[in-house]
Amino acid sequence: MTTTASTSARGPSSSSDGDERFPSVLRVRLRTTPARLWLLTVASVLVVAGLSVSAGSALEQARNGVEVLGEDAGPQAMATTELYLALAGMDAHVADVLLMGTDHGLGSGRESAEEQYEASRTRANEALLQAASLTEGDSIEERNVQAVLDGLGEYERVAGEALLLNDEAEAPPGEVDGAALERYREGSRLMHTDLMPKAFNLGLGSSAIVRANHEEGQDALVLGLLRVGGTGVLAIGVLAGFQIYLSRRFRRRLNVPLLAATALTTALTAGVVLTLDAAGGAQSRAKEEGLDAAMALARAEAVATDMQADQSRYLLDPELADNHQQVYLERAQAVLFRPAGNLEEYYGQIREVADAYPDLPGEGVQPGEDGQDTDPGTLGYLGEDARDSLLPTERGALGEVLSAYDTLQDEDRRMRELSEDGDRSGAIDARMDIAHHQEGAFTDYTDALDRLIELHGEQFASGIDSGERSLSVWAWLLPTGTLLVLALLAAGARPRLAEYR
Amino acid sequence: MTPRDEDQVMFVESSRFTDPRTLHGAPAGPGRKRHRPVTSLLAAAVGLSTLAACAASGEEASVLEGDTITIGVKFDQPGLGLGENGEFAGFDVDVAHYLAEEMGFDRDDVEMVGVTSVEREDKIIEGEVDMVVATYSITPERKTEVTFGGPYYVAKQDILVSADATDIETVRDLEGLEVCQGEGSNSASRITEGLGIDATVSEAPSYSRCIDRLDDGSADAVSTDDLILAGYLAEDPSAYRFVNYPFTDEKYGVGLPYEDVEACEAVNKAINRMYQDGTAGELLEKWFGSTDLELLRTVPQFEGCV
Repeated sequence: MTTTASTSARGPSSSSDGDERFPSVLRVRLRTTPARLWLLTVASVLVVAGLSVSAGSALEQARNGVEVLGEDAGPQAMATTELYLALAGMDAHVADVLLMGTDHGLGSGRESAEEQYEASRTRANEALLQAASLTEGDSIEERNVQAVLDGLGEYERVAGEALLLNDEAEAPPGEVDGAALERYREGSRLMHTDLMPKAFNLGLGSSAIVRANHEEGQDALVLGLLRVGGTGVLAIGVLAGFQIYLSRRFRRRLNVPLLAATALTTALTAGVVLTLDAAGGAQSRAKEEGLDAAMALARAEAVATDMQADQSRYLLDPELADNHQQVYLERAQAVLFRPAGNLEEYYGQIREVADAYPDLPGEGVQPGEDGQDTDPGTLGYLGEDARDSLLPTERGALGEVLSAYDTLQDEDRRMRELSEDGDRSGAIDARMDIAHHQEGAFTDYTDALDRLIELHGEQFASGIDSGERSLSVWAWLLPTGTLLVLALLAAGARPRLAEYR
Repeated sequence: MTPRDEDQVMFVESSRFTDPRTLHGAPAGPGRKRHRPVTSLLAAAVGLSTLAACAASGEEASVLEGDTITIGVKFDQPGLGLGENGEFAGFDVDVAHYLAEEMGFDRDDVEMVGVTSVEREDKIIEGEVDMVVATYSITPERKTEVTFGGPYYVAKQDILVSADATDIETVRDLEGLEVCQGEGSNSASRITEGLGIDATVSEAPSYSRCIDRLDDGSADAVSTDDLILAGYLAEDPSAYRFVNYPFTDEKYGVGLPYEDVEACEAVNKAINRMYQDGTAGELLEKWFGSTDLELLRTVPQFEGCV
């Protein structure tokens, strides 16, 4: 009792008569100025610490999101997407070797085709490992990975038999041995109806994982942002309240250290909120303009690989030639779509696209009144990329891809004309030239496409990088800033507290 | 919009993949540990962030979020979707029920309605149906208006002729003959334009009418998807036969509202399961097993949801 009396006597007079109307323990304890000073100091320390913790956890979460996309899920999804390409490559090289028959010097040669087969096989294995890792815990996808692994062994056995039979029969180019053809059909069917669909679906599944992942991360980011903003506003409010109390209680206009602490808290809050927002934006760009585009183009490459192999299948299996020609057109339409009922029309349409680029034929055409005969535009993987490519370098690279694709279609027309005119050996030469490992029209196309994929890959890497960089600053900025605020708080509160010692 | 169960399930499921531990199959180092709010906050957080995200982007609700689901099926296609007394039966109908169940709808919450081929897009766009499972081929044009889950089956174009028309062995034997196709279909153009075969194409309002014409001899062949033809063949296996010349892929997709990626991914997952647990094989056998059609029992290559 005496202590209280003596303190109030020393300090400025109390004006809070109302306090006595609520004689609770708390009220009694808070009745004195030093108690209130302590309360406000402790409250300030707590809210500042709270802000620091919530900012720290939001930043950490954002860092994790960027890291998972950049180092785990993103690259794994890309690798899984390439499984399909590897499988398409394997079957393509088997078809080429069969078509070559005894003439091992056609195109870039049998040895090169066999090497490429092995390279595709190795790539398929690696992609399967990535897929297994990415789909762990998802029983449906795990079974698909296992099925592809098992099926691949079966395919290799059947394809090996086909090649052996053809070699034993010493089949000349383009005249595949009947038994060998049977085996090849079996293997190719296994590949196309079982393994490749599953591989493609695994790639799509991994995209879905990345998407769900990313959306969850963005949601968490929004939440973290709200939390940091909320605690920041609370901290600023408490510090401002402290300032007001001091200025009323001690009749000083401003407590400078406290003012600095408030300003710094405001800056920290704003800085963290802006960084989180920027990191979220960078991550979205990395995913959409980088990874998604790169994965779509990787599919374009895989489908085109299968498509050009249809040229070999068309030549080596005359009985199903019409079928393989039709399938060629369908795969081509998946890569780059323009309305065309047959290949002849398609060649013309593709020439138009390559010539008109960067304009896209069929864009902005209003639907006809009856809704019929409307031009759906330029679609397919390349068409979609044309619509989404924003950077000038990407547009340039895509222009090259389109013109390489047009050349590839020109070569296809030449090959089919030779075949239809009965010049089988000419047609086979034309086909093997297209597939030539170094200078074939298909190689030119994939090289151009790889450059474009690389550009999207760089966009992915730079988005991840800028996200990581802006977040990494806060690893030291946040603790330093927090300590500084606390130090300023101490500097502001201590002289006042000292008055009551 | 309120926080829903799906969100939380989604969150929990997908967080499995973001956790580096599951990605590497080994405990993460100390630097990689995620700071997570306590569990009670987690649920609230999901609701809040979903609210914020939905409000921000103005997304439309996924069909997964509905209490019930309306599915459009064919009502005049034997073996696939045939309506009788308000009940539908067929391969598509059974597939639709399987998918709806996997998507979390009770059988009582599933409503089937009949749709014709021409009205499929409009009914999805206008929201009259949530989903279409009706021999709906995925094409690049349609993909600009509808998001396709699946395909759940890849049919081939084939040709059905009378059992006694032994002179037609391959598609090239149709030269100079009359081929019937459904109105608005372009299947026969693949024979005439695509392959350059000089056949006369006639159109009938439905494939059933084409079959009638085959019966009375006014058409020599009916051209369309082998699964549709197998539906008629299953009704009378001794009357017709396939030319057995499968020449294009018809990817039967599950039509969904444009950009409903969430539902599309759920459909794909369900189709994967349908093939893995043997249901797809059983349903194909049930509806088309009596024909000599070569049925594909492995999961088709999906189209992709984005």
